[in-house]
Amino acid sequence: MAFGLQAPWRRPWDSLFGRLAVILFCGLALAHALTVGWVLFERAQLGRSLMLAYVGRDVAAALAILDRVPAEERGAWLPRIERQDYRYVLAAPAAASHDEPDLARVIREAVASTVGASRVGAAAGITQGDRGEQIELGLLLHDASPVTLQLNRPKLRISTTTVTLLCLQLLVLGLVTWLAVRAAVRPLRRLAVAADGLDLNRPARPLAEIGPTEVVRAARAFNAMRRRVAAHLAERLYILAAVSHDLRTPITRMRLRADLLGAGPLRDKLQADLIELDALVEEGVAYARSAQASAEAVRAIDLNALLDGLVCDYVDAGHPVRLKGSLAVPLRTRPLALKRIVTNLLDNAVKFSGAAELLIEQTQPDAIDIVVRDSGPGIPEGELGAVLQPFYRVEPSRNRDSGGTGLGLAIAQELAGALEGTLSLSNRASGGLEARLSLHIATAS
Amino acid sequence: MTSLEHILVVDDDRDIRQLVSEYLSGNGYRVSVAANGSEMRKVMSDTRVDLVVLDLMLPGEDGLSLCRDLRARDAAHVPVLMLTARREETDRIVGLEMGADDYLAKPFAARELLARIRAVLRRTRMLPPNLQGAETTPFIDFDDWRLDTLARHLVDPEGTMVALTGGEFRMLRVLLDHPQRVLTRDQLLNLTQGRDADPFDRSIDLLISRLRQRLRDDAREPRFIKTVRSEGYVFCASVGPAPERRP
Repeated sequence: MAFGLQAPWRRPWDSLFGRLAVILFCGLALAHALTVGWVLFERAQLGRSLMLAYVGRDVAAALAILDRVPAEERGAWLPRIERQDYRYVLAAPAAASHDEPDLARVIREAVASTVGASRVGAAAGITQGDRGEQIELGLLLHDASPVTLQLNRPKLRISTTTVTLLCLQLLVLGLVTWLAVRAAVRPLRRLAVAADGLDLNRPARPLAEIGPTEVVRAARAFNAMRRRVAAHLAERLYILAAVSHDLRTPITRMRLRADLLGAGPLRDKLQADLIELDALVEEGVAYARSAQASAEAVRAIDLNALLDGLVCDYVDAGHPVRLKGSLAVPLRTRPLALKRIVTNLLDNAVKFSGAAELLIEQTQPDAIDIVVRDSGPGIPEGELGAVLQPFYRVEPSRNRDSGGTGLGLAIAQELAGALEGTLSLSNRASGGLEARLSLHIATAS
Repeated sequence: MTSLEHILVVDDDRDIRQLVSEYLSGNGYRVSVAANGSEMRKVMSDTRVDLVVLDLMLPGEDGLSLCRDLRARDAAHVPVLMLTARREETDRIVGLEMGADDYLAKPFAARELLARIRAVLRRTRMLPPNLQGAETTPFIDFDDWRLDTLARHLVDPEGTMVALTGGEFRMLRVLLDHPQRVLTRDQLLNLTQGRDADPFDRSIDLLISRLRQRLRDDAREPRFIKTVRSEGYVFCASVGPAPERRP
């Protein structure tokens, strides 16, 4: 309907799908990251302790070699005893820094434990070498000549295989999240579709009660609710029909009694009151029944004859109503519902302006509009949607004094739905109201 | 006073029976009343009844089945005027197989009831003997057209429904009952609306012109309704209740 609300656009966070996906994925990814981080940390710890045990003995061996080699040949030996991560320089360390980093201290102590504290410098320092930051530890040979141990600061090395593996794992994680969330959200969507398509007038297939237990429960509850609503509706109709039947008899009696009275203004007024009372009951029942309009059979009709017949009835009653336009092909529709809609619109127009114009307009090859125009007071723009609600009345120009129940337009609106059409109201530029019933034509072939 | 036409009013409400009876008696009819189906049958077996005013909603056996029962028995020729709950209901039930001669929605004006009774009685009285009480099919066919006397609409040669107003239906029905016979405006008014013509009344001409429109008939070269100057109208196509063509 033209008065429905439509969200302008949706952020991913607005949907349950988005929320569940974000929560699940972030949670899993965080847990995964923590595990990987811990494994890496432990690996680093293990590497360090292994390295420390090794470095101590290796430095002792290197010092022993350098001790026994003549001083002038030592330089030539240096490349042979250097390792991937550390090497020796025949000189004192550049400068001992004041603050000894934790790692440097541990290395110094490890070396001191194998070669003796007297041969190790007081503190290891950090310098900026050509291979990045390095730890420098001063050592002494037997002949008191200085040697410096240069260690590359140990770096965490992660192979590309590990990175690829990690990415793959994230991908699997994303996929699993999507599958899980979809499985959770799909039944909800199914439920919404079923609720949208709910038409109590037609014996619909109940929602399939399959799937996980929660979904089965929801489907069962939905089906039970559908039955309850249908029962309520049937009860409402039954009560209205019963009330109308019980009212009909006294109204009939009163009308007959009034007819038997002698002619006079009192009798005429009484009769007018009774006619109005009857119209109220009639409209109430019509509204209650309008919910069942889609039960009427669809058939091909001559729209021109149907509308012309209606117009003739108004003309006979002394109301200037005109029909313009025609439809060349038969129209497949529910004739009683269509007749009722147009009658209600014409009644409304005649009530407020005394005259009406009925038009058939072909808007598209497969769509027509049936338009009812009057030159009455119209309806304030803000109330155009509200007047389609039952019992709504515009004050004060279209008020109770003009008679009617406030149900005519609501009935028309309800029946338009049964014809799979739409009813819209607008004020004409030249004054007056225009009611437009848009219908699809499924031409009878 | 035996020439008075006898009307039987069947309604479960005592006051309504009494009021209708009083009104019709005052307008020159002999009236009997019945509260239900068995009372109705009793009256009809005792005396000749010219018309039954039958309420649709009766306790026990309702008007629909009573009417069907009436049609199935030897009282098939007795015209029935059905009283229905409301307009909406009339629309719904006219499509059902019950074959009442006319319908009137409750509550009704007494004058309207009188007019309908007169129209139905006159139409029945004027029917050719071969058609009287011989309503075996609800369809009347002429050319390629068909009038559905239950649902009260026309079906054109292509099978499309052509709606008729109450007045148009009654007029066409009268014309189809008397094919090839000139009917005066006075007669038509009598038969369709139960009242006598006043010389300035043009409503018959209006109804005829609307009917021609529904039948897509041309007044200058009519296929169905021909104007007979200074006399009236004649239905000129051949008419027959063709048994089983379209369902």
